[in-house]
Formats: sequence, C-alpha cells, structure tokens
Amino acid sequence: MKLNHPVTDREVLMKPGTILVTRTNLKGIITYANDAFIEISGFSKDELVGANHNMVRHPDMPPAAFEDLWNCLKAGRPWTAPVKNRTKTGDYYWVEANVTPVFKNGKVQEYLSVRYAPSREQIQQAESLYEKLNANKATIRPTGINALIKKLLELGLWKKVGIIYLIFLLPTINSIYDHYIEQKYPEMFLFLGLAGFASILGYSVIRSVVKALENSIRISYRMADEQFRNTIDLDRGDEIGDFYRALYGMQVKLNSDLAYSKQVASEAMRIKQALDNVQSCVMVANNDLDIIYMNKTVADMFQNAEADIRKQLPDFNASKLMGANIDQFHKKPAHQRGLLANLSSTFSSALVIGGRHMNIVANPVKNDENERIGIVVEWLDRTHEVKIEQEIASIVEAVKVGELSSRIEMADKQGFFETLSEGINELTDVIENVFRDVGSTMQSMASGDLTNRITSDYQGVYLNCKNDINTTIDKLNEIFGQVSESAHFINNSSQEIASGNNNLSQRAEQQAANLQQTAASMEELTSTVKNNADNAQQANAVANNARELAEKGGNVVKAAVSAMQEINESSNKIADIISVIDEIAFQTNLLALNASVEAARAGEQGRGFSVVATEVRNLAQRSATAARESKELIQTSVQKVRAGTEFVNETGKALNEIVAGVQKVGDIVAQIADASIEQSAGIGQVNQAVAQMDEITQQNAALAEEASAASVSMSDLSTNMVEMLAFFKTEKKSGQQKVVHQADSASVVRAEANRMASSPAVRQPSSFKQTSQADDEWQDF
Amino acid sequence: MTADLESNQHVEQFLTFELEGEAYGIEILKVQEIRGWEPIRKIPNTPDFVKGALNLRGSIVPIVDLRERFQMQKVEYTPVTVVIVMSVNTASGTSVMGIVADAVSDVLDIKLSDIKEAPNLGSKINTQYMRGMFVGKKNMVMLLDVDKLLNPEEFVGIAVLAAIAEGK
Repeated sequence: MKLNHPVTDREVLMKPGTILVTRTNLKGIITYANDAFIEISGFSKDELVGANHNMVRHPDMPPAAFEDLWNCLKAGRPWTAPVKNRTKTGDYYWVEANVTPVFKNGKVQEYLSVRYAPSREQIQQAESLYEKLNANKATIRPTGINALIKKLLELGLWKKVGIIYLIFLLPTINSIYDHYIEQKYPEMFLFLGLAGFASILGYSVIRSVVKALENSIRISYRMADEQFRNTIDLDRGDEIGDFYRALYGMQVKLNSDLAYSKQVASEAMRIKQALDNVQSCVMVANNDLDIIYMNKTVADMFQNAEADIRKQLPDFNASKLMGANIDQFHKKPAHQRGLLANLSSTFSSALVIGGRHMNIVANPVKNDENERIGIVVEWLDRTHEVKIEQEIASIVEAVKVGELSSRIEMADKQGFFETLSEGINELTDVIENVFRDVGSTMQSMASGDLTNRITSDYQGVYLNCKNDINTTIDKLNEIFGQVSESAHFINNSSQEIASGNNNLSQRAEQQAANLQQTAASMEELTSTVKNNADNAQQANAVANNARELAEKGGNVVKAAVSAMQEINESSNKIADIISVIDEIAFQTNLLALNASVEAARAGEQGRGFSVVATEVRNLAQRSATAARESKELIQTSVQKVRAGTEFVNETGKALNEIVAGVQKVGDIVAQIADASIEQSAGIGQVNQAVAQMDEITQQNAALAEEASAASVSMSDLSTNMVEMLAFFKTEKKSGQQKVVHQADSASVVRAEANRMASSPAVRQPSSFKQTSQADDEWQDF
Repeated sequence: MTADLESNQHVEQFLTFELEGEAYGIEILKVQEIRGWEPIRKIPNTPDFVKGALNLRGSIVPIVDLRERFQMQKVEYTPVTVVIVMSVNTASGTSVMGIVADAVSDVLDIKLSDIKEAPNLGSKINTQYMRGMFVGKKNMVMLLDVDKLLNPEEFVGIAVLAAIAEGK
C-alpha cells in the first residue's frame, strides 16, 4: 500500500453539494477526475490523470479497506465506504466513496468512483473502524461467524424461498399427511392440489420474481451500461408488472433523462467547452457566491494576473479559485453581496486589482422557474486592453498635442486591437505625413522658399488641404511676385520721394531763406514806401504849391490871355479897320482902275483923268500898301499877339497843363500817397503774408523735413520690405532685385543741394526764377 | 476897237490880274468895271466855270470863273477876289460878262511890241485866247484875248479843248 507522506492534521471539507468523481482504468490509473475532486485533492488535473489512484490515499486508511475495495471491484461488485483521502499538501478529507465497475457490452471497462460528503457520524464510525482495522482489531468484511451469518443471510432467493417453501411445506405436508392420515382425501387432495398448485404457483412466482429480478438485474446492468432499450413487459399485472412498469418508467425516464441529461450535458458540455474555450472570462458562482465554474480563459487570466493581484490581495491563489468565494475579491464583501443578492439584471462594473483593470459583467442565472440559482460573471481583464487603451490614449494625446512620432507597439496586439493599433498607426502615419508635408512646406514658406509644394498624393480633406496649400503657395508666389514688384516700385518711388522730399525740404528752407530776405526786402520796401509816402507828401505839398503857383500863373496867364485877347481884339479891330482901309484901298483901286478904264475908254480926254486915276490908284495902292503893311504889321502883331497869345495860351495851356499836370501830379501824388498807404498796408499785409508764408514755409520746411524723414523711413521700410521680400524665393523671379541705389538718389539729392547752394538766393526775383527753374527741373525730375 | 489902236508903238493899257499866282492881262478897254466879289446867283444847266450871274445895276452879268475855265484848282473866294466885268465882243454883239480873278494888279501900259507871241503848242491846244505874253518886271503876264476867251459860243469848244489839252 502506498503511503503518502507527509500528512497534516488539517481537514478539508468537501463543498456541500459537490460530488467527487473519478474514473480509473482496470489498473487503478485515474483516467478522469472531476473538478471538485481535482480541487479538493489539491493536485492538478495533469497530476491526477494518468496517475495511480492510490496517490490520494491517506496513510491513516487501512490497507484492508483498499484490499476490500479491489476484491469487490475485481468481483465486479460495487464498493462503498467512507474513505479518508490525502490532499497534495497533506491535509485530509473524508469522502463517502462509491466505487463501481462500469460495464460496457457486458465487460468491465473501468471503475467509476463517486464520492459524497459523508456525514459526521459516518466519519466517526469510519474513523473508529479504521483505527481498529489498522490495529487489526476489526475487519471490513465480516469474518468468521459474521461472515457465515452474512452469507447465510445473503443466500440466493431460490434457496431462501426453497427453505421457506420447505418450511411452509412442512406444515402443509403435515396437514396433508394429517389429511391423508385422516383420510380426508378431498382435503388432502385439495391441500395437495393446493399445495401442488401453490408450489407451482410459488415456483412460478418465485421463478417469475427471480426471472424478473434477474431480468431487472440484467436491465439494470444494461441501464447502467446506458442501454435503455430493454424490452420490458408492461402488461404484466402484479407487483412485478408494477416493478416492470416502474422499471420501464425508470428506463424510459432514465433514458429520456439521461438523453436529456446527455443532451443537456452535451449542450452544457458543448457550451461549457465553448465557454471553456471562449475568449471571454466567464465565471459562474452559486447563490452563496462560491465560484462553481471558471472557464479556461478566466483561469488563465487569473493565473496570469495572480502575481499582480497578490499585490493587493496577498491571499489570492489562482489555482484555488474554484469553489472559493467571490468575497475574497472585495474589500467590502458585504457591499458586493448586497448588490449581487438583489441582482435581477445585468450589472457591470470595473475594478482594479493589483494594477489590473477588470471589467465584470454580472448576470443572474435563473433556472426555468425563474429562481436565481447563481450568477454568471464575465471577467474581462482589460489590463491589456486598458494598457492598449492607455497606449492609444497616449498616442491620441500625443497626436493631440502634435507629437506624431510615436506609434503603437504592434507586437503584443491581436485581433481587434491589432487592427485598431494598425489603423491608428496608419492614421498617425497619414497625419504625420500630411503634417510633415504641410510642415515642411510651411517651413520652407516660413524660411521664404515659396517653391516648395506638397507633392504627395492625398485624398479628401488632405487633398483639399494640399490643394489649398499649393494654391496658397501659388497665390503667395503671385502675390509676392506682385508685392515684390510693388515693393521695388515703392522702394524706388519712395527713394525718389525721399530725394524729392529732401529737395523739397531744401527748397522749402531756401524758400524760407528767400522769404526772410523777402521780409527783409519788404522791410526795406516798407521804409522805402514810407519814404515814398513822405516824399509823395512832400511832392504833394510841392505840387500843391506848384499848382497854386500854376494856378496863379494860370490866372496871370488868363489875365495875359485876356489881355492878349483884348490885344487881339484890338488888333482884330485894327485889322478890321485896316481891312476896311484895305477894302477901301481896294475899292479905291478898283475905282481907280475903273477910272483908268473909263479914262482909257475916254481916250485922249481921259488922259488927265487917267493920270488922276493913276495917281488915285497909286494912292490907293499906297494906302493899300500902307494898309497892307499895317495889316501885315497888324497881322504880324496879331500874329505875334496871336503867337504871344498862343504862347500865352500855350503857357496858359502849359500852366493849365501844369496845373492839370500838377493836379494830376497832386492826384497822382495823392494816389501815390494813397498807394503808398495802400502799399504800406499792402506791404504790411505782404509782410504779414510773408511772415505767414515764412511761418508756413517753415512749417512746410518742417513738414518737408518730416515728409523727408517719413519718406526716408518709408524708403528704409520699403528697403526693409524689399529685403524682407528678398527673403522669399518665389518661382517667377528671384526676389532679390537690386534695390535702387540709394547712393544714386543720395547723389542726386546732393546734386540738387549743390545746385541750390551754388546760386544763393539773393533777391526774390532771381530766387523765384531759380525756384521756378528748379520747379521745372523738379517736374522734369 | 482894239484893232484901230493897234500899232507897235502903241501902248495899250492892260489890266493885270492874278489867277493862280499867274498874272494875266486883259485889255483895259474891254474892262467895264471892276468890282469886288459878291455872291453870285447861280444858274443851272450851265458849265461849271459859269458861276452864275450878277445883278449889275440892273443888268444880268454872267460870271465866269477862269480858274475853272482854265481847269485850275478851285479856290475859295476871298475878299480880294475881284470880279472883272468886261464887255465881250461876240458875233452876236457885245455882251457883258464877268470873270472872277484872284486879285487885280496894276494897269500896265504895254507896248504892243513888247507883247510876245504866244507859243504854239500844237494844233490840239487852242491858244487862241492868248494874245501874247508880256515880260514884266516881276513876271510874265499872259495877255488874254477876251473876245475869244469869253465867247459864249466857244465856251463849249474851249472847254472841250481845254479838256483835251488837259489830256482827259
């Protein structure tokens, strides 16, 4: 007998309601052990199956028991007894072992051992028995007289019946004999007949009973062999018929139950197999929250998680979960119990054990009567998933914050997560690519290189983005080209403006200087004008004087003229008179001529008359001459007077003219004075204006300075802009156009300044002219 | 009348008058009267040089303006302007006419021998009315033949001739 050591004194109790089942082959090698057995034995399935059954033997067990066991088994008979078994760790447990040979086709195939939890009395009895047995103070099988008695008691039915028949027969025979003796032949025959009939009946009864029993034994064995198609006579009436019917019923029921059980079992087995092999971790607990089923996955899961779970629950043992209570998972078992006790629908929760994330989904298991018989708990070790979740979350966070370089590890991923990780990696790749492209393009754009475009192929939004970016770059190229052009233009223009402003500023200064000179000149002019005014006043006075004198003279002249007029008149009168005389002379002449004519006509007689006429003519001529002379004289004097008059007239005129002239002069002088006043006023205004102009010119100069400064700054800015734009390499032309030489413009400005300086503004006109010249040049420039 | 007084030694008296500064002379015997200028009554439909007529003590005397007659420049009549009334011998008799002269000068006693012949200027120019020229002390006096000058029938002819002479 194999003695398994060491042993402890700890008793392990079978879980109530469980049965331990093992199958062994004919040699005692375990071919099958159910979970309960495995659990309680402490051994693993692998350790049990294929090992001899005696490995669980407890050394306290008497070898005789096992002897007995084997004797029975070899005899093809079942055996039952309480047995003390040893666990792997040396603890012991009592079982009520029921070992039976299993027949297949009439032959013993294997031995089936079903063990129940024994009652305490059984254990005590067994303990005492085995102690005795060990002390060789008792035997299992009754020996000696006990055996004999037992044997006698267990005689076969025939034998017993025979004996009983014989026993009953004796009084019958006795009575028959009595009857025979009493020659009650009818009663004797009756009894004989009855006895014989009864014997026959009895025999047939016994035979039928025994046959029935044997039949039933056979059927029972067959039924034990799972042969449920046994012909059973159902029509038989008596108890045997009842028994048959009961047997039949049992057969049928057993068949159907077995079939049902088989079906259910196979279904359950299928389902269990399925569940065993299902990826989900399924754990079933009974109403007391003992774990009654764990599928392979959950066992593996807990095995894997054991180390981690031990961090939190130091007593956790994955291999001992089967049959353990769920409470051990919880810190507050009562809470869970309360929750689960009232569970009527799905309850999901998540818990973290030892760093492992477990999701549990608990569902109540209800039997057909809708009574809760247990709870099925699906565990999901989401640790991996959580880890992956975290990985994915971290990747997503990374992507969210722009960290696109990390990828999810593909190595430890399968199935959905593999696909997901792959997908996320691909997504990240795509995003990375997109952003890399965009980034590189933007970078080159940021560094001014506008020739870089996104060339990779994309779709959808990325394609849109790519197109937009490329379009943007194109547009930027265009714009920068244009802006560059404009910038250059602005640069040039601003430089021109700067130089022009410089010019303007200088001109303004010049103008200011000129204005100052103008002001000075205006001052002089003012004084001059004042002088003029004074002089004009003086002239006015003098002119007035002159006028007065002239007027006086005019009066004198008038007097003279009038005198002359009078003279003239006198002369005229004289002339008239002389004319008269002349006429007279003329007439006289004519008369004398007439006289001469008459005289001539008269001839000789008229000679004396003609002499007289001649003389008269002479006289007339003399008087005519005298008159003529006088006339001439008078005419001369008249002429002279006239001349004189004319002179006087002229003088008068002249004086008048003088007066008029003086008047005019006076007026003019007055005008001059007024004009001088106005001039003064005007000059004052001009002064004001000049002062204003000066001010304004200074302001202008200042503004021009400002404008110059502004334009210089604009020029600088535009130069900056051009330089900045040079930073951008566009596709059309290099942005590095030459900035218009500031040296040139500066030189131009200097030239202008020189020009201005070379001809210093002296007097206004010249300077104005120069300014206008410069203006022309400015316009030309 | 003049014819019987004509002899080389005969002294004739000519009345000289002025016309356009030129001295002209006419026989004194022809002269009836010398008058001063008076307004003349115009007569229409007469040649221009016929100024008009004067009322001379009851007789109507036509006045001729020699200036116009000789196609000279017309001048204004001055108080010295005289009207020389002459009696003209015409075919029809003696008619009294007056001429307007600028002034009347002397009565000259001219010897007929001193009268120079008028120059012949061609047949076209009618110088019939010129009796001759007299060289005086100061100037040359053109002596006119009044009859031919103031012949009314010749007026037209003279005028025409004068016009021809003027080269019109």
